[in-house]
Amino acid sequence: MSFWRTVLAIPEFALVLALPPLLSSIIARTKAWFGGRTGPPWLQPYFDLHKLIRKGAVYSRTTTWLFRAGPIVNLAALLTTATLVPVLSQHSLISFAGDIILIAYLLALGRMFTVLAALDTGSSFEGMGAAREVTFGTMSEPALFLCLAVIAIATRSLRLSEMLGPQLFAAWHAVTPALLLVVGALLVVLLTETCRIPVDDPATHLELTMIHEVMVLDHSGPDFAFITYAAALKLTLLGSILLHAALPMPDRLAAVGPLLRLIELAGLALLIGVIESMTARLRLNHVPRLLAGATVLSGLATVLILTRGHG
Amino acid sequence: MNFIVWSLIVLLVGAVWSLLSAGWPRWSLAGGLTCIAFAGLAATSAGLIRLIGGGQAAHVFAWLLPLGTVKLAIDGLSACFLVAIGISSVSAAVYSWGYWQHEMQPRAVCTFSALLCVMVAAMVLVVCAADVVLFLASWELMSLAAFFLIGLHDRDPAARRGAWMYLIATHLGTALFVVPVLAFASSHSGSTDFESLRAGLGSIGASTAALLLVLGLIGFGTKAGFMPMHVWLPIAHPVAPTPVSALLSGVVVKTGIYGLLRLLTWLPTLPVGCAVAMLIVGAVSGVLGVLYALAQHDIKRLLAYHTVENIGIIGLGIGMGMLGQSTHQTGLAALGYAGALLHVLNHALFKGLLFLSGGAVIHSTGTGAIDRLGGLARQTPRNAALFLVGAVAICGLPPLNGFVSEWLIYGSLFGGALQIPGLRAATPVLGLVSLALMGGLALACFSKVFAVVFLGEPRDAALQTHGTPGSMLAGMALLALLCVAIGVLPGVFVPLLAEGVGVLTRQSSDEFQSAIRQVWAPATALTWMALVLASFVALLAIVRRQVLGHAPRAARVPTWGCGYPYPSPRMQYSASSFAWSLISSFRSLLWPRKEALAPIGPFPQAGHLETHTADLAEEGLFAPLFAGIARLFAMARTLTWTGRPTIAPPIRPPPAREAAPLRVVLARLLAAIRRGSIQVYLTFMVLTLIILFLIEGFSSGRVSLPANQGSAGASPSRAGAPPARVEGTGP
Repeated sequence: MSFWRTVLAIPEFALVLALPPLLSSIIARTKAWFGGRTGPPWLQPYFDLHKLIRKGAVYSRTTTWLFRAGPIVNLAALLTTATLVPVLSQHSLISFAGDIILIAYLLALGRMFTVLAALDTGSSFEGMGAAREVTFGTMSEPALFLCLAVIAIATRSLRLSEMLGPQLFAAWHAVTPALLLVVGALLVVLLTETCRIPVDDPATHLELTMIHEVMVLDHSGPDFAFITYAAALKLTLLGSILLHAALPMPDRLAAVGPLLRLIELAGLALLIGVIESMTARLRLNHVPRLLAGATVLSGLATVLILTRGHG
Repeated sequence: MNFIVWSLIVLLVGAVWSLLSAGWPRWSLAGGLTCIAFAGLAATSAGLIRLIGGGQAAHVFAWLLPLGTVKLAIDGLSACFLVAIGISSVSAAVYSWGYWQHEMQPRAVCTFSALLCVMVAAMVLVVCAADVVLFLASWELMSLAAFFLIGLHDRDPAARRGAWMYLIATHLGTALFVVPVLAFASSHSGSTDFESLRAGLGSIGASTAALLLVLGLIGFGTKAGFMPMHVWLPIAHPVAPTPVSALLSGVVVKTGIYGLLRLLTWLPTLPVGCAVAMLIVGAVSGVLGVLYALAQHDIKRLLAYHTVENIGIIGLGIGMGMLGQSTHQTGLAALGYAGALLHVLNHALFKGLLFLSGGAVIHSTGTGAIDRLGGLARQTPRNAALFLVGAVAICGLPPLNGFVSEWLIYGSLFGGALQIPGLRAATPVLGLVSLALMGGLALACFSKVFAVVFLGEPRDAALQTHGTPGSMLAGMALLALLCVAIGVLPGVFVPLLAEGVGVLTRQSSDEFQSAIRQVWAPATALTWMALVLASFVALLAIVRRQVLGHAPRAARVPTWGCGYPYPSPRMQYSASSFAWSLISSFRSLLWPRKEALAPIGPFPQAGHLETHTADLAEEGLFAPLFAGIARLFAMARTLTWTGRPTIAPPIRPPPAREAAPLRVVLARLLAAIRRGSIQVYLTFMVLTLIILFLIEGFSSGRVSLPANQGSAGASPSRAGAPPARVEGTGP
């Protein structure tokens, strides 16, 4: 059993790494459909990456080595995270008690280097984006950790692949309301962390209103390919955590699990496309309220799960 | 033990040499610093020998000391602090050589060198003293040496104010709280020896123990800088010479933590309420400390506020250790105390590094005002890289040392959420949220300070920049190397903490390891992850180099200004504008003030914008308190109700309270409640629920704990788990 798991883990990891641009493509096609357009071809994000890799890079005179290090460290942190998150099967490549903290802090490491690379250009637009990124990143942190705490308490485990495994399926029967709140809060965290509407608009080209896109204005060529791919990978990984938490699988479905997860990921991309097409971006000073709301919801979930013994 | 005696002798020689050779400042400085470096090495070796070898060594000198004996002892707890003190002293000594080169004034230099010897010696004595009287004497010696060092540039009014604030704060804490606690302890046990205190205090009741702890927390907490006793810290630390600031923030404040932990070793098992109080103090210090840090415009003041934050993180670790002990969960206690002790060392390393590096910025530009700097990464690249190491470490990011200690504390907090039954687990969850918030805010803060100081274009063309001397870089590089070493090889360093934690929890080294393994993965897992991360970074760097090698090299261009062709350095985002979105989101905690004069009209005159965040504890709590006390004294002196003598000139009225006093806070709180936003109402719903559950829990008496369940099984399962969960987890 464990031998086969080891053998199959490598192709699974490769598949996970190949998947992210496809999710971007699904979101783009959904939005195009809502707008009455045909949209780009399904494989367009892969073509874009290929094109960027072959291009040269232009650097500002103001920048230092940190500007070049930013995209590399960000993508490396996300690739390391990918070894810790279960995406298709129930198991991640590496797993130990306490990996949840490492995941959260690896995402923070990536964020810090992206922000520093943005500020390295000395552009006030990128400074604006960086300030918003750290503000909203900070505010989504309590909600994320509360959600993790609720899931940990519900499954009595501190290892991500166990927390999102069959134990969670059993726990859903026992503490449905708390976990429903957690899923809602996690969705908000996902939209914030991946810079999607209603927090950030990845499609706009009005620099004053953007967060993630404005931080990477000066990157080009292979650096920008790393950034584009990293953004899609982040969506895939956080989306998988959300899907595993929302739709945990019992052991008897383990055989068809990866296939179901693939369909679910496509469904999540569809959902994000629908959200982006149907809602407007929030005013920037309203985003903290959304995140505070998510924190409060996850706090309520914590109270519910801590007091369930009193019923 | 011999190492300690030798290091004290060497420091004494250093101090005497520095004073005797006052006419030759270079020789005076060189001799004093060499002595400090060797003494630091000796102290580190003494600590490491104890941590690796275990056991306890004590030595009694046949010297007369009024009321007590001169007894030195090193156990695991002292050893942990000795290592931090030793390493910090070595790097500060190496750094100081370059630091003083450009202003070799005989008076300042030889005073500095002699007093630094005295302060390091006093710190070593504080953590090695095994007698109440010796402890208090060296504690006082340390405070006095620090006072004179802070006020070294005594022509500067800010330095004088900082030194006096420090002296008053530390003496209020010592005289009103520390001395009574120690006096009670020694009179209760009939001896001043630490060993007999442990035996003597073992029998006191729970409420007395709790009272002693609260007094100790206030007294030692004043030294350590827990909120709200921290007010002296951001005033005193920035004005000292840089190596002194690094030592003050790195290790002198830690003696307060040492005192608190030493007190904990004497007290019998404390009620859960004490642990909860400790956790709340830690969480409040941490979150408010980093928020105030975010609002600062001066690099050293910002770092000083970060000390308050990190002391809060250490407080969270200690609180979880106490909670683990009170609820008999050995794993939580081991993780909490281990995290706290490792963070003591880690904070000494990265805060020392950051202060030294920030001092190097001031050294090379002449200013510490963040908003005047910029672009230093191209002028002083090595200093920038060292600062970056410190910044990543203090944010608790992998793969550096800050992550390891925060990871241990997170383990304790998560373990507490899982293993402590009922609503009591809410405190660890609260600690969890506060630690996560601190992490995010620290990241924002250090992105800000690193980017504004080192990246972008220089904001002030008038500033002359010169390079950083080699010895300053060497002193910082030592600390940076250790930051990386602990972060990458935690499996080597965490087991060494077993001796220190054992003094607090009375566990053996093996029990410590197995207690941790019940809850959390062994720290070696982090080594593998650091390797994975490093190999991904290397791989991507190679890929980038390969693909860029084929492409034609593009010209270097100006930064894209979104179509605007004439950007100037002054248009860059400044520290204040970067932090403002976070500061204004937390304005109900911070009360930032903003003075703006917008340019208006068809021919606008010069505009003006200024933000300032005053310390609420200073202006809202201590200023009115001390003004009231001053008035009381005045009343007693003049025998009138107004406190105004009829002939003498009137006493200066208390300073106008600019920050929000308590009643304004309350009024605004009431207004905020009725603001009509949905998340406020949601918060109240949750709070109401918590209160209802608490009332229900206490009235039916179900919050009481099943005693001693932690030692029952190896798996982290809850003894009193409700039946619904047992059905739920079935196959």
